[in-house]
Amino acid sequence: MSSPFSSVLSALIRHRGVSGCCVVGERDGMIVEANLQIGLNGTAFAALTASLYRKARRSALAAGFGEAAFFELTADAGRVCAVGRNELVLVVIAEPMVNVGLVRVEMLRALELFT
Amino acid sequence: MTSDDIRALSDALAADPSSTVFLQLGEALRRRGQLDVALKVATRGAERHQQRPEAHDLLARIAIDQGDFARARAEWEFVLHLSPGDAAAQKGLGFLCFQQGDSANAALWLAAALAADPNDPSLGAALATVRSTIAAADAVSPVAGADAAAARDQTWDPVPTVAARAPVADARALFDVVIGDQPQTVLLIDRDGFVVAGQYVTADGRDLGADLGAQLSGISDEAARAVQHLGLGSWQQIVFESEAASVAMAPSLDGVLLVASPRSVPLGYVRRLLERSLERVRRWLETGT
Repeated sequence: MSSPFSSVLSALIRHRGVSGCCVVGERDGMIVEANLQIGLNGTAFAALTASLYRKARRSALAAGFGEAAFFELTADAGRVCAVGRNELVLVVIAEPMVNVGLVRVEMLRALELFT
Repeated sequence: MTSDDIRALSDALAADPSSTVFLQLGEALRRRGQLDVALKVATRGAERHQQRPEAHDLLARIAIDQGDFARARAEWEFVLHLSPGDAAAQKGLGFLCFQQGDSANAALWLAAALAADPNDPSLGAALATVRSTIAAADAVSPVAGADAAAARDQTWDPVPTVAARAPVADARALFDVVIGDQPQTVLLIDRDGFVVAGQYVTADGRDLGADLGAQLSGISDEAARAVQHLGLGSWQQIVFESEAASVAMAPSLDGVLLVASPRSVPLGYVRRLLERSLERVRRWLETGT
């Protein structure tokens, strides 16, 4: 069975350096659909990144910057990117050397599905 | 480093007093400003590990923070005795000489440190600052300066602007040299969400830096927790775009450095601005300029 998000996730996971992507509920951190490489703890990944995105979104609103669009966290051993709309968050976890610009464009384009 | 981390390091040191965990513990205490405790930890550690250059480097940095320059110099010179060419010790002696007005020797030490550790970006900036100070002194006394300049290395970097090397009198203006008259905001925020440097002035002249810092600094705590659980190491940078602004953040001074730009500014430029601002903070902390 395929959901509206299957094609987006399949396209994202094919990017060099992307190790997982998923659509997550922003409030509860539960996975709606995921495409993860073997070994990635999808449940923890989804919950933590949804929480992080929610925090960034609320902080941006409180600071008067309006709704958050694209979010990216760079760490020593990887990157986490997220976009969200209507209480759904599309999250990508990737290696440090991933082409973030390309992933960002594809994620923002995918937001059209979140209406 | 959190209080829990420090407690864990203290416990580890208590369990094994001969371990080298005192280096991490002493440095963490120094960064938190607990200099007396840091000195006790470092002194005990250096007594047990007299031949470890890192122990004496730690003692020197604590001494600098305490204003005990003679002790700092002695410790760094001992590091060089143990480990000739040690970049950290040469860097420390360079900053110490500069702080004491001896720019010529500061340049020599920093150049030697840069040769030993060419990947340390703070060294290049510090060396350029010292050399610009020497050049400015030469300009004030051109005759003596010409002789002195002829005797020194001629491959200097271009001289930075006067504003870039002057002591910073108002921390709110720290990033003016980085952002110029562009509509960007740069704030250095400590771990408690208070603004250390920079400002966010609205169109009606109000400084909302404290509000902005308090709202956005919480993201870094969430990020630190997430990367720890995900096993991604330490977080280096956060970038997010919103309807009105692009924001970039990075850890700095036990807190965060935050850059906010209008959405019209390309995201790549915001990242570069963040990197330049980080470099600005490093120089400010190391040289006061």
